[in-house]
Amino acid sequence: MIKGGFAGRILHVNLSEQRTWTEPVDDALARDYVGGLGICIKLASDLIPRGVEPLSPESVFVLGVGPLVGTDLPSSSRMYAVARLPASGTVGWCGAGGYTFGAQLKYAGYDHIIVSGMADKPVYINIEDARVDIRDAGAMWGLGIDDTCESVYRDLDAQAGVIAIGQAGENKSAIAMAFVDRISTLGRGGFGAVMGAKNLKAIVVQGSGGITVSDRKRFNKLSRSLLNSFREYKYLKEWQELGMLKAFPMVSIDVYKRMKERRTACVSCPVGCKEVVRIPDGPFAGLVKHTSSALNLFTPMMYGMQDPWEAVKLITDLDSYGMDMFEFFGLMGMARELAGSGVISLTPEEPEIDLTSFSSMSAWAERIARRQGTGDLLADGFSAVLEKLGNEAKQHAPALIKGIHPYAGPGAALPWDRFGTMELGQVLDPRGPHVGSGGSPTYFAIRPLEVFPKHLKRMGIPENVVDRILGPDRNKLHVGRLLRYSHAWFAMLGSLGICARGQVNRFYNADLCAKAYEAATGIPTSTDDLRKRVDRVWTTFRELNIREGLDASKEALPDQWFRESGFKEYLTGEPLSKKQAEEMKKEYFDEWGWEG
Amino acid sequence: MKYEITYIQENCSGCLRCQLACSRAYARSFQPSAACIKIESRGAEYRIIFTKDCVECGFCADNCLFGALTKTPKEVTA
Repeated sequence: MIKGGFAGRILHVNLSEQRTWTEPVDDALARDYVGGLGICIKLASDLIPRGVEPLSPESVFVLGVGPLVGTDLPSSSRMYAVARLPASGTVGWCGAGGYTFGAQLKYAGYDHIIVSGMADKPVYINIEDARVDIRDAGAMWGLGIDDTCESVYRDLDAQAGVIAIGQAGENKSAIAMAFVDRISTLGRGGFGAVMGAKNLKAIVVQGSGGITVSDRKRFNKLSRSLLNSFREYKYLKEWQELGMLKAFPMVSIDVYKRMKERRTACVSCPVGCKEVVRIPDGPFAGLVKHTSSALNLFTPMMYGMQDPWEAVKLITDLDSYGMDMFEFFGLMGMARELAGSGVISLTPEEPEIDLTSFSSMSAWAERIARRQGTGDLLADGFSAVLEKLGNEAKQHAPALIKGIHPYAGPGAALPWDRFGTMELGQVLDPRGPHVGSGGSPTYFAIRPLEVFPKHLKRMGIPENVVDRILGPDRNKLHVGRLLRYSHAWFAMLGSLGICARGQVNRFYNADLCAKAYEAATGIPTSTDDLRKRVDRVWTTFRELNIREGLDASKEALPDQWFRESGFKEYLTGEPLSKKQAEEMKKEYFDEWGWEG
Repeated sequence: MKYEITYIQENCSGCLRCQLACSRAYARSFQPSAACIKIESRGAEYRIIFTKDCVECGFCADNCLFGALTKTPKEVTA
């Protein structure tokens, strides 16, 4: 039944047995779970053992890309991993711009990789088309992300996609992430530790094959038309020029231009939000950094660091260790309070904790990544620290959801305080806090209500539901009801492999997604079919987590969100009450037809 | 129609849309390895290379939105 789009095979790697094998992508699996994120979730549901410890040899993780990845449909490079995560304890999706890895995986002949077991020494998985082997990674172990990738690139003639962990992942830190092609991040919640616990340093893939589509003429027409929409977008050049700084101008354009080397893009993306920068002067002059966004590089300035180049250098170090910067700063803020109140004692050789100081943060980044001194305690993440230190520590904790610090809200990194779908979604997504756009119109912009109907239609929300979301007079916003459909839209884009960032997903709509999917795969798919399938994906995701212990206590709204300088109501900008947010949660469950 | 393809390597983003367009047209598959234009990445740089099989059709330039590739019609001589 599958006639195109899919590479057609799932690669299994059992690290304990040092064995690899493949199986075909089952027709029914492809039809019912769409691909990419959807199939990752279904495979995880089938293969992750009930109650498994995230860092045990029995833990299994699934990687995958959707059926549009590898084609020229604009910005279709998104990749996902699903695993039980050590920080949250839930089974979570981890999403990343696939850069080259996603497409290379398809060209090598695989849609998904399932990794099980644990190697008895450091290894990496090397994939060259049909040839897959598990290689010794002794020489890579101990290296940061950049050096790991460079060591791979050095030995190859052609381009390769690389997923790698740094020292934080090797040391099984709950704030460790994996990096895709040293740029995109995979896994708030400790996905890097999941790889590290398996002694898996990296996955390297090179593919020389190709992806065909079922109906070339129809697919090419859709793709060409879509590319023209991007071409005619009046802000395209501005996005290409500024990247994510267009949305969040955290530093002056002058500072940005002084360091910008070039714009880079995931395969097939005509916008490009990744970039290469070079520090122009000062003690770190000449440092080159590949990043998923210059925005990230200036995050330390949100915590009071003054020098932009010190900020860039610090994030370069955190990325190299393979650490989640949001968790790092959240933990350091808490550790500062714990040390100040005497709950913990720093050792004499440990520097004072000062979030505004480069030397302090740089030293602490290393201590956590290498588990030195107090860094060993902090490396296990919020939940472990609070459990170990008891009630005395809890009053010093920032807002936490499933043991992870959200990106926005009081004390968090981003200067964004409107409570839209992404903010409520920090609580109601089983994976816990994340920075993956759900593609709704409330995403990082204050938009007038008049534009909502067109966006809601684009997301595939039926007309009769729009009244429930915006009210019959279209003058209200029921964030909880909208989040239910934002989760479905996110699942649709993720299952196909399309980027959900606002500057990209604005060109997509559910009808177009269904047509592109059908043209690529040959699987008969109406818009309604696709809607039902992605609802199945998200429902499976929730059911899997309920099976693994997700309950109301893990979906509690943090009290810190409703104190002074807390979140604001999206439409009015008035302070948001906990009662209002609780009502949104009820509406979310009601819209799904689930018990909350 | 044949085109003079000019390129500015500094503008290349590595999106590979040029390779996808070329292979779609001539290999009937999205297959960068089969494209007549190669994008080699080395550190922060990309190198744009045309193979001897390039027929100068300009599809690659049509698909570049970063200003790395442009095309101008070649004069036809009798």
